[in-house]
Amino acid sequence: MRLQSNRSTGMGLTGTGLQMGASSMFFNPGALSMMETKMDFSAGLSGIISKISFQSTGQNLVSETDNKLGTPFYVYGAGKINEKWAVGLAIYTPYGSSAKWEDDWAGRLLIQNIALQAIFIQPTISYKITEKLGIGAGLVYTTGSVKLQKGLNYGPDSYVELDGSASGIGFNLGAFYVASEKLSLGVNYRSEMTMDVSGGDAKFNVPFSLGTTIPAENKFSASLPLPGNLDFGVSYQATEKLLLAAEVNWVMWGTYESLEFDFEEKGELLNSVNPRQYKDTFIPRIGAEYQLNEMFTLRAGAYYDPSPTNEDYFTPETVSLDNLAFTLGVSIYPTERLSIDLSYLQIFGLEAEKNYQPDNFGGTYKSAAFIPGFGLSYRF
Amino acid sequence: MKYKFLISALLLAGLWSCQPEINEFEPSKGNADFTTYMTAGNSLTAGYADNALYKSAQENSFSKMLAEQMEYVGRTGSFNIPYINTEDGVGASNGVLFTKLKMGFTQDCLGTTSLGPVRANPNATQQELAVLLGTSVADQGPFHNIGVPGAKVTHLLAPGYATLNPFYGRFASAAGNAVIDEIANVKPTFFTLWIGNNDVLTYAIAGGSADQITPLDGAPGVGFGASLEAILMTFKATATGGAIANIPNITDIPYFTTVPHNPIALTEQGQVDQLNAAYAQYNGAMEQFGLEYRINFALGANAMVMHDPSIGVPTGYEALQIRQIKANELVLLSIPQDSIKCAFWGTQKPVPGTFVLDEKEIMDIDEAVAGYNLAIKAAADNYDLAHVDMNAVMKKGSSGGFVMDGVVFTNAFVTGNAFSTDGVHLTPQGNAVAANTFIDAINKKYNASIPKVNVAQYNAVVLP
Repeated sequence: MRLQSNRSTGMGLTGTGLQMGASSMFFNPGALSMMETKMDFSAGLSGIISKISFQSTGQNLVSETDNKLGTPFYVYGAGKINEKWAVGLAIYTPYGSSAKWEDDWAGRLLIQNIALQAIFIQPTISYKITEKLGIGAGLVYTTGSVKLQKGLNYGPDSYVELDGSASGIGFNLGAFYVASEKLSLGVNYRSEMTMDVSGGDAKFNVPFSLGTTIPAENKFSASLPLPGNLDFGVSYQATEKLLLAAEVNWVMWGTYESLEFDFEEKGELLNSVNPRQYKDTFIPRIGAEYQLNEMFTLRAGAYYDPSPTNEDYFTPETVSLDNLAFTLGVSIYPTERLSIDLSYLQIFGLEAEKNYQPDNFGGTYKSAAFIPGFGLSYRF
Repeated sequence: MKYKFLISALLLAGLWSCQPEINEFEPSKGNADFTTYMTAGNSLTAGYADNALYKSAQENSFSKMLAEQMEYVGRTGSFNIPYINTEDGVGASNGVLFTKLKMGFTQDCLGTTSLGPVRANPNATQQELAVLLGTSVADQGPFHNIGVPGAKVTHLLAPGYATLNPFYGRFASAAGNAVIDEIANVKPTFFTLWIGNNDVLTYAIAGGSADQITPLDGAPGVGFGASLEAILMTFKATATGGAIANIPNITDIPYFTTVPHNPIALTEQGQVDQLNAAYAQYNGAMEQFGLEYRINFALGANAMVMHDPSIGVPTGYEALQIRQIKANELVLLSIPQDSIKCAFWGTQKPVPGTFVLDEKEIMDIDEAVAGYNLAIKAAADNYDLAHVDMNAVMKKGSSGGFVMDGVVFTNAFVTGNAFSTDGVHLTPQGNAVAANTFIDAINKKYNASIPKVNVAQYNAVVLP
């Protein structure tokens, strides 16, 4: 989720075609060199309150997750070196998910709980080629962790817990074009990163008698892809007070074909290849910003984020439904230099019947997320 | 004005944030009346598992699962089960009582320790087990689950069966009753019946050497078809609906498929030569008698030698009524492994025929099961009942297996998740599959929506 600026969040999570100040380092490094002030600092935090419900096919009981609060954040600092060049450092968390099901829920043999986290650190440089065209690039270093627990069919207390970390390198490229006083265009590409977990801790909690077959302490490796993104955005200053934005994100999930776990010991028994067969998705977004007065700016937006999952390989580990989302936001400017940015995002994971065919586990899923956000920006 | 809008929008958003609701499945009784449910049958219905009757297995019977699921579609009142007051259980075979099996470590004759079924309490005396089994719980009745371990279809009609089978005796409302006489005490509106396994299984477990396969034809109490109809008619006195399950192919259960016919592994030519030399005289005699039987050993896996009294040798040569077991014949799980490993069963000594189902016996068994299943299907049609195709589920299990809720089911012993440590009866997870199979058939027949159970929430074989 791209909760990388509370201004963006308020506007349907648009940003590629917008001049976002320091936040442009994430949304479009090409726009950084067109920053209106010399220096721009911005930081923010969101709280993801999410819930998933599930009902097995042909069953009446509904399982619900008790997810812990997700807290994506961002910290940006950028400045202009001269008229042409701007540099900055961005730290942000565009990927992260957690789901905590009851340990004895219907899908306990698929997943009991999972938490994925990744922190991106991106030094960025941007160059203004002409007054109308800026380009920029960032080198992205990512450090992340995965922790998951799934039940094993050796009794109610049997499970495996995997805990690993990984890092990766990628890049973020953008170009920003001011077509007219009213119209801006942007394009942004963020590369795919593969998080290779190796030497992660695997703990098997199995009956004593299986101790020689399944060692209690083991090491595992796995690869988790963070998909590449190609974003096209446009913004239009409709009136002096009203700014409109629209964009499309192409999320290249198609590379996520399977999730494979390899174990150091007893691999012949424990290794698994779990098909995922994701497909690329296109997310349309719209947003608007209305400058009410010198103190208040109001925002609203919406987007539709279709599920990248395959019909036959939908797992409860990452319940990714077709999402319809609405956003609201407000910035309060106590001074011209400081803004307090509030945002609110409501995501409806549309009810759908899904199946994970290798485990013959299917049913109806529905999700919802409620994400308030808070940020501060200071520029001079 | 605008702030008010913003605040109310945020409040509204807060309300949306409640748990997303799903109402995809609405339980419904359809055209059936599940008010009072009753179930009859044999050990499977009773909840016998791990070679014994014990309380938690009774609680995990498919019958109890069905009763619980039927609460969502109108079943009322208690579902009385004649619980036995023991977790170690009581099982019976040929008049000998024992506690249940559970997984434990055993040391074989070669000193190798391995995981396998052991008795929960090998020191339990016949007397204390007899007391547990013999204690009548009839005063807690009438019972909604009248499954009787060991019962054949004909037994359910037999007056005085309580005196012959203590598993019925312990809950019979009157000593002179037939099992079906219990039905009138409950007056069910809906019933399930799964009977007929023992009509062929008792014979099969004896290696075809004892007991008789119940004939298909014959009067009630003698023949399979007429007995089945008599039971159904008794239920139909009050019940407006019901379900009847067919019989899984007996010879596909782990009791018959676990021990290979050729466990004799020879690694040295010296052993091979020695054995072949020992059987040279046998092979010569067979040639002389004009019989095709030959015994040969080679490096690798070898079929065991078994006793087969059907071999037509001249009088006085009965000692030569032996042969090697064929690949399509079945060795019973009950064969003592130590006798193969250390007492030269299968090599120097023939395996007794009681531990093997030969081709003819298998054919008789499979034929009987096929006949019973035709009779069951016909009865389901004639009496307008849901037909539960357990045999189809068993076939899926024995031909590669199937998966439900992440549990892989096969007919493999212990690791296949479906069968308990006795290789015949079901685990709780196996019972859950049976319950769901009943539910599917009932829902289809009566246009009902009984919710299914989640198989992953039950245990397979419990390991220490």
